Amino acid sequence: MFPSRSKMKVKILNWHAVASWTWDAQDETCGICRMAFDGCCPDCKYPGDDCPLIWGACNHSFHLHCILKWVNSQTSQPHCPMCRREWQFKAWEQRRRGFQLETPGQC
Amino acid sequence: MDSLAEESFGEILENWGGFVACTETLLKGKGDPSVGSQLVPLVATLCVHGLGSLAQDHFLQSLAETFKTNVVSKFWQQFHAYRDGPRLNVHEDWREEVLNKSVEEMWTDHEDWHEEVLNKSLDEICTERSYMEKCVLVLVHALQSYDEGITKGNIEFQHLHSHLISRFQLMVSSVLLTTLPLHFPEVLRLYFRKKLEELSTIIAGEYEDGCESQIDDHYFNQQTKRSHLGDMDTIGTYSAIAISNDNSLVKSIGKVVRELRSLGFTSLTEDAYASAIFLLLKNKVHSLAGDEYRSPVLQSIKDWIQAVPLQFLNALLVYLGESIDYDSSASGLKSPLASCPFSYPGIDTPSEGLVRWQLRLEYFAYETLQDLRIGKLFEIIVDYPDSSPAIEDLKKCLEHTGQHSKLVESFVSSLRYRLLTAGASTNDILHQYVSTIKALRTIDPAGVFLEAVGEHIRDYLRGRKDTIKCIVTMLTDGTGGNSSGAGNSGESLLEELTRDAENQENADCDEDINSDEKQAWLSAERWEPDPVEVDPSKCGRSRRKIDILAMMVSIIGSKDQLVNEYRVMLAEKLLNKSDYDIDSEIRTLELLKIHFGESSMQRCEIMTNDLIHSKRTNASIKASIPQPSLEGADQGKTNLPLNILDVTIISSNFWPPIQEETVNVPSSVDQLLSDYSKRFHEIKTPRKLLWKKNLGTVKLELQFEDRTIQFTVTPVHATIIMQFQEQTSWTSTNLAAAIGIPVDLLNRRINFWVCKGILAESVGKDSNDHVFTLVEDMMDPNRNGLTSSGYEGLITADEERERSVASVEEQLRKEMTIYEKFIEGMLTNFGSLSLDRIHNSLKMFCLAEPPYDKSLQQLQSFLSSLVSEEKLEMRDGMYFLKK
Repeated sequence: MFPSRSKMKVKILNWHAVASWTWDAQDETCGICRMAFDGCCPDCKYPGDDCPLIWGACNHSFHLHCILKWVNSQTSQPHCPMCRREWQFKAWEQRRRGFQLETPGQC
Repeated sequence: MDSLAEESFGEILENWGGFVACTETLLKGKGDPSVGSQLVPLVATLCVHGLGSLAQDHFLQSLAETFKTNVVSKFWQQFHAYRDGPRLNVHEDWREEVLNKSVEEMWTDHEDWHEEVLNKSLDEICTERSYMEKCVLVLVHALQSYDEGITKGNIEFQHLHSHLISRFQLMVSSVLLTTLPLHFPEVLRLYFRKKLEELSTIIAGEYEDGCESQIDDHYFNQQTKRSHLGDMDTIGTYSAIAISNDNSLVKSIGKVVRELRSLGFTSLTEDAYASAIFLLLKNKVHSLAGDEYRSPVLQSIKDWIQAVPLQFLNALLVYLGESIDYDSSASGLKSPLASCPFSYPGIDTPSEGLVRWQLRLEYFAYETLQDLRIGKLFEIIVDYPDSSPAIEDLKKCLEHTGQHSKLVESFVSSLRYRLLTAGASTNDILHQYVSTIKALRTIDPAGVFLEAVGEHIRDYLRGRKDTIKCIVTMLTDGTGGNSSGAGNSGESLLEELTRDAENQENADCDEDINSDEKQAWLSAERWEPDPVEVDPSKCGRSRRKIDILAMMVSIIGSKDQLVNEYRVMLAEKLLNKSDYDIDSEIRTLELLKIHFGESSMQRCEIMTNDLIHSKRTNASIKASIPQPSLEGADQGKTNLPLNILDVTIISSNFWPPIQEETVNVPSSVDQLLSDYSKRFHEIKTPRKLLWKKNLGTVKLELQFEDRTIQFTVTPVHATIIMQFQEQTSWTSTNLAAAIGIPVDLLNRRINFWVCKGILAESVGKDSNDHVFTLVEDMMDPNRNGLTSSGYEGLITADEERERSVASVEEQLRKEMTIYEKFIEGMLTNFGSLSLDRIHNSLKMFCLAEPPYDKSLQQLQSFLSSLVSEEKLEMRDGMYFLKK
């Protein structure tokens, strides 16, 4: 119906795309400071690298600064503020596996 | 007793008759000395009978009679020629004008004739007068000789003499003044004006070849020593001697003045030559200042005052001052009301009269120049930086005249008339506002009058929707918002930011050095009382500091609004950057941070930081990806190397809401993007990328058989055109489906390619369905503009580009829609409500998330948008539900 191949070619010289980043956390906001994960904790100025997120073994995530403050304020063994399980930082490999298994309700 | 009385009665009558006859002959005859001697015994006899005062009265009366009938009427007759014109229109305001004109016409007709008439008639009347004075002296003499017979007192004689003379003079001037024709002052004025003009042209000529005339001056000095003009260098930078050259001219003027004075026209004369001088000065000011704003004129006007009118006055005063000595009658005529300019023929110190004249003339010059400048202030401010000399002049004038309120009044009215109209663009108004601030800051550092003027502009600008946008553009763009000369204003605002920053630094230094006490002391010393015009209701020290940015912000109301608008604009700019070059943005941002505080600019800073991080991340991702990994991904497809892809990665929480549209980018690009995000995920471990596929810029090259054209377009445009690689013709519905965007959006976007002549549009089978076909051969001469080179194609698709960031209005609109239901509910209950009522009710009831925090203006604009959507109706300030 239409002539199919054209003699025109488009050569892309440069493609400047725009993207936004996100911590791929299950929740929107940090349970401690109630600020957005993709934002930053109240003590920080810049989001992203300057104010990273950390996951616990229970798969709950917080701003690193927030949870460290929490952990340091606990006298005895610290617990996760969300589920009261003993707080342990999740190893990165473990987290990745957790994602692959797609079992968020693990904790 | 009776007989004695009768006898003496007869004697008195006889004597009286003799006296009357004598008087008559005396007045009519020309200086017959015998009459004087006849008079002596008669007067003596009358005095014996105590009729001395009666005799005096009669004498003067007949004198007056004669003067009036013979001399005065003749005198006025001379000027009769000038009477006809003015007589016709001797009332209303334009009287003087007409008078002026008609007399002037006469003047030009007869030129010197008039002057001669004046001179001649003055001479005549003066001789008459002096003759009469002699007659009076005869009488005085007669009386004196009688007195001497009795008292031998000299003092009484003195008294009598001056008494009679002054009575005589009073008589002369009263007779003249009562018969004064209306046009006579005008004649005098014209006479002086003409003379002065002559003089000033001579002096101007002298001034020009002043150097050559130096030697001559010396010569003239010698010659004119009598008038002591030679070393009159107390005044002026002009060669003070110039006037002496025209001594004859000055003398002739002086003579006229003296004669006029002796006739009792002292104040009339002074008025006349004062007004002539003022007229001359006014003309001079106008010719010097005129429409010239680029050079200061005040000094040259002052110089001129020194050179011409003051020289003239000086010469005149000196001349008259001398004349006092030998013509004592003139000095005796000084009326206390007419501030008679007398002068001690002092040489080194200017006489009091002269100083008074100088002050008067200078004040007049200040006032004239000020009025002239104020009238043109609008134009002056339009080309402000160039016209600063005019502003300086005006400042000096105002310092002397103190008529600031006049300035404010006239400037405001011209602003109203010329600037604050619908026709003026917001940019121009802002530009003028900035210039006004700067100009008035020079005139009045306290800022009181600026406040009065600025208020009007601000009020007006607040009513304009694009004010904020324009201000922000002026702040951020060095090049300015529009091309028509506003470049200046943009720069100036940016400059202002820079200057502000510098000031701040300096201020900081100052604070470090000075202790608080010292600071307080300094500021206390610097204190000046507010000008009288200050509006007491707006007192506040903060007003004192004139800060252009603060004044700009005060237009908007709050700095938050400005910052918000700036953020949107910044986002727009950053997203459209194809390189990561944001130096100028960072600089502006830093400056704004200094001005508005770090915390309010925090989000903007994160935005620029995102760009910096993106650049780094982009580089490291590109470095980390080995070429082979790509090959596996896009086998069988056009090989797109990763290095053509750049990504701006944003922290979306801190950016203004971004308009997202879905678009199916070509699979090759899609592949590239997903590769990129995979790498990102690996580098920034748990983080992921969410693509905003409709945003960004694409630089591409269309390769035809015979030519190539380069374009910089949006991804949507790129996607559209890439579809035509596979298939040269598409219907709009099919294409929209392939790309994954709505048809109407596609139609809008594809227009760009149609405009560029790459695609051709035709109506398909279905009238709603357009068919777009690739134009392959461009042999058509109509399009040779395109074929000649690819250069034109480089034009970016800016005019087509939709905003990538939701504008502030759109955001507001989104926020306001929550309240739409409330408003509708209110209106169903109450029928109609005013804006205030709605505003207050919303404030009262919408406390839950999100609380109502909008301003009245915001609500108003929302309501009017509802009206335009035909949801509401507005009548007489009340809102109704549309039925």
